[in-house]
Amino acid sequence: MKNVLMATAATLLATSAMAEVNIGNPMAMTGPIPDLNAPIAAAVDLAAANINAQGGMFADGETLNIIRADSACDPVAAVDAVTKLINVNGVTAIVGPVCSGAAIAQAESVAIPAGVLTLSVSASSPAITTMEDGTDLVFRAAASDAYQGVALAELAMANGFTDIAVSYANDDYNAAIAEVFVQAYEGMGGTITANEAHEPNKASYRSEVATIGATSENLALFSYYGSGGITLMRNALETGAFTNFIGADGMLSDELIEQIGAENLMTSTFTTSASDASTPSFAAWKAIADEAGVPASDPFVANGYDATFMMALAIEAAGNDGREGLSEHLRAIASAPGEVILPGQWAEAKAILAAGGDINYEGGAGNQDFDENGDVAGNFSKSVIVDGAWAAELIQ
Amino acid sequence: MEAYVGYFLYFLSLLTVGGIYAIFALGLNVNWGFAGLFNVGIVGFAAVGAYTYALLTTAESTYHIGGLGLPLPFGMFAAMMTSAVIAGFIGLICIRLRADYLAIATIGIAEIIKLILKNETEITNGPRGINKIPRAWEHFSEERFYTSWPMSWFGTPENWEAFFDTLPNWYWQPLFAGTILLVMYVIYRMLERARTSPWGRMMTAIRENEPAARAAGKDVTRRRIEAFIIGAAIMGLAGSLFAQHLRLIEPTNTFDPSKVTFLVWVMLIVGGSGNNRGAMLGAFLIWTLWSASELFITGAIDLIGNIFSTLDPSILQTRAGFLRMMLIGILMQVILQRYPGGILPEVRPASPKADKNIAGTTGESK
Amino acid sequence: MWDAFGFEFVNFYLIPGLVLGCIYALGAIGITLTFGILRFANFAHGEIMMSGAYLTWTVMAIAGYAGLTLHPLVAMVPATLLVILLFLGTDKFFYKPFRKADTIKVVMASFGMMLIIRSAVQVIWGPNQLTFVRGIAKPNSVLSDVSNDIGMMLIIPNKHLFIFAGTVIIVIALSYLLNRTRIGKAMRAVSDSPDLAHVTGIDVDKVIRATWIVGGICATAAGVFLVMDVQMLETTMGFRMLLPMFAAAILGGIGKPYGAVFGGLVIGLAEELSAYPWIGDTPLLSPGYKTGVAFAIMVIMLIVRPQGLFKGRSF
Repeated sequence: MKNVLMATAATLLATSAMAEVNIGNPMAMTGPIPDLNAPIAAAVDLAAANINAQGGMFADGETLNIIRADSACDPVAAVDAVTKLINVNGVTAIVGPVCSGAAIAQAESVAIPAGVLTLSVSASSPAITTMEDGTDLVFRAAASDAYQGVALAELAMANGFTDIAVSYANDDYNAAIAEVFVQAYEGMGGTITANEAHEPNKASYRSEVATIGATSENLALFSYYGSGGITLMRNALETGAFTNFIGADGMLSDELIEQIGAENLMTSTFTTSASDASTPSFAAWKAIADEAGVPASDPFVANGYDATFMMALAIEAAGNDGREGLSEHLRAIASAPGEVILPGQWAEAKAILAAGGDINYEGGAGNQDFDENGDVAGNFSKSVIVDGAWAAELIQ
Repeated sequence: MEAYVGYFLYFLSLLTVGGIYAIFALGLNVNWGFAGLFNVGIVGFAAVGAYTYALLTTAESTYHIGGLGLPLPFGMFAAMMTSAVIAGFIGLICIRLRADYLAIATIGIAEIIKLILKNETEITNGPRGINKIPRAWEHFSEERFYTSWPMSWFGTPENWEAFFDTLPNWYWQPLFAGTILLVMYVIYRMLERARTSPWGRMMTAIRENEPAARAAGKDVTRRRIEAFIIGAAIMGLAGSLFAQHLRLIEPTNTFDPSKVTFLVWVMLIVGGSGNNRGAMLGAFLIWTLWSASELFITGAIDLIGNIFSTLDPSILQTRAGFLRMMLIGILMQVILQRYPGGILPEVRPASPKADKNIAGTTGESK
Repeated sequence: MWDAFGFEFVNFYLIPGLVLGCIYALGAIGITLTFGILRFANFAHGEIMMSGAYLTWTVMAIAGYAGLTLHPLVAMVPATLLVILLFLGTDKFFYKPFRKADTIKVVMASFGMMLIIRSAVQVIWGPNQLTFVRGIAKPNSVLSDVSNDIGMMLIIPNKHLFIFAGTVIIVIALSYLLNRTRIGKAMRAVSDSPDLAHVTGIDVDKVIRATWIVGGICATAAGVFLVMDVQMLETTMGFRMLLPMFAAAILGGIGKPYGAVFGGLVIGLAEELSAYPWIGDTPLLSPGYKTGVAFAIMVIMLIVRPQGLFKGRSF
């Protein structure tokens, strides 16, 4: 036992001493959504692998090292994990927290006071937009629910739903987006026939489905596919309570097709923050993801890749692994002007930056241009089943 | 040099969180160690304390009610009181239940408290939680504090801004940790006094032999409710410190029974139930193990990956968090079996003569 | 055609409530027996239930490699044996050392076991969701046709019929065991009065073993039925079922297996029916509070009538 401890201590010290660029990556490895988290973590690793395979960081090709920690979707764990990442591992920046609650807590409690930049892969709560007081340290690579809820309401209108029932899982992500959706939809003249929370992870949602099913043929479902969403959808289909389904990216997963069957999902449409499949940036991302066996269109997986890639670009542009002033570089590499860089084009980007040029990263999940609050604009696609698989199409 | 500052700050964070858990453990020690009340609803009292504090001290917000922006000590005091009042209600109806039943009842009540916090969205902002909770000492550098009385009395906002710019950005961290340790110490001193007082000895008597205590004319139910309320008030205070440390609280994951209730129980059992010093020692020890084990487990998995290069460590890495939980569980089983009294077993207070003065000051009669 | 009230009520509230009730009932049998005979609240029971479902999945997966498609109810048999071994193992190493000590110690030990078993399952099987059968379960066509002819449309999928049948068989077998066999009578005797049982020369160790075996069978069945219903395995399902099962055991009276069955059905129905629009069009209780129903019933029972409806033990 003692030897193991000594050896681990030695490895720990060794890793921090080598010439590496460290990015802290607190992910929801345990907690309520480990299944949703797993492909996102794989995408983060994939980005680092791409970067290291194409020359690494800076002129001398230092390794980009992702230090993973467990934020468990839980403010307590996130604060503890990020404290260690920043103080013990000495990371340059944080790419990570999956859940909004964990992302806000770690930023307010640790990262902002320490002056460390956070780029969240999937925190979508509208509260993040207004959380900072004068600092410029919290960014996210996923669009705020404030945008996606509106996009979804427009989609419901475009599909000709004049009335709709809303069921949302009672967690930070789904409750937030449902609220935005309800406001936007009513503002557009639609009728919300029922608006009920459901407890995640219940064995059965038949009574919930039946109660709100009597009011409308259409269901707006806000849930994670992994913690009750699939069950609720299955109950709704089994009882025939609803005909049409719409929902946000928490439900969009190949797992849904596998578990429920594509033939049962023909009337379902889910939005996600992504470019449509015809853009070159999505094609580039899909090629990389398919080759590595990462599910390209699962929720926030492309965002995970983009966030890691952008953070590495920002550090590369800064020219050192210091924490100061990183946010300016992040803004610079993510938006115009500059040469357009697609997912996976690390060597190209590195060459341009080395020559003192400007770049503009366009990611698999959207163009990733940050506004003054560090949010990315809403650019959404709707996904429907075509030939047994999800097919995305941009909505305007 | 910067690395040492980092290690120092991590050490401070261990003291901070360990101190908060130590206060929880002291509260539980009043319930369990003193009075033998099997309270498994710690998380409920923690949540009540944290939410009371958050609603009273945050700035006005459209997301939740309250946002009164009251002074921090007032918020902490109110957290204690709310927790105590709720414990009083629970105590009145549940206290006569036998240990296992009380455990099941408190665990159920804690879940109901969490459900209310989660579903009454108008009051608590529901599952999205409350953020921007002011943290002691750090809050002075927030604009709404230095522009208002009493800080505005000492200097203009510009002066204050200039002053805070001269401090390192972690200036509040040692002060916050120190405050928590001070609160912990004060509670410890008070509990030590209570323990050696006639009240404390009566508690021991009730716990060890209830019929005898009853026969001796003690009001057993009343004493138990008292212990329950005092313990809960201390947990409410710890909850408010927890909210300050996290700066965001939400009902589901922040107040996860396996991470609050269970961890505090492990701390008390490991440290030694009935012994206040043991409770604190257990809290710091287990929290340090819990927090630092993440560093070691990740390192160990990397090591395994390096030694057996054919093995893919990524699966183990994704599951390291679960491994940590399992090790803590096993540690608890070992302690329970090998050291049933904990690291610092309970020491019975000496005979009444030894602490005559204390008995006199508390004014407790037989 | 029967009126809309009857159709919706029976198919969407009553039957799901009964299904859930069956699952709670089976879980509560194990809890109530442990509580009655070994005299402690076993917090690890939900996790044992969950690991039973995972073992069943594993048996099905192994059979799948060999080209066999096993029904979960068949794969459950070897899994049950493993669960019984797990139960006996935990008892030997973690509960037995405390048999003479304070109850509280063994409750703490079971609390720890809960954590260990859950993390072990998470480490071994990983956090990803698994499933027995894919797709959605269509209602049994024969039953809906027949019931439609007599004017009361019943839409029950086959999985629910299996769950009902399985529960009835297990409860009948249990009542045979408790009423007709020597060991069953001994179990009841120990549960009713341990001191008296000891005096009459009942082998308490044997009774304890039998308790774990019966509890293991019921727990595995409950876990497998739950997964058959939800069609999804995940690692926190045991803990989420634990409190409703405690509530069922307390409602029925500690140490009373029939009480546990009754209590389970009541809790299951109460949870589902609480969301029925009894008054007006909106649910009586917001579905967000659905899980609270079981806790509330449990706390009220503990306060008002701790011996339970069936006059179980009250400590």
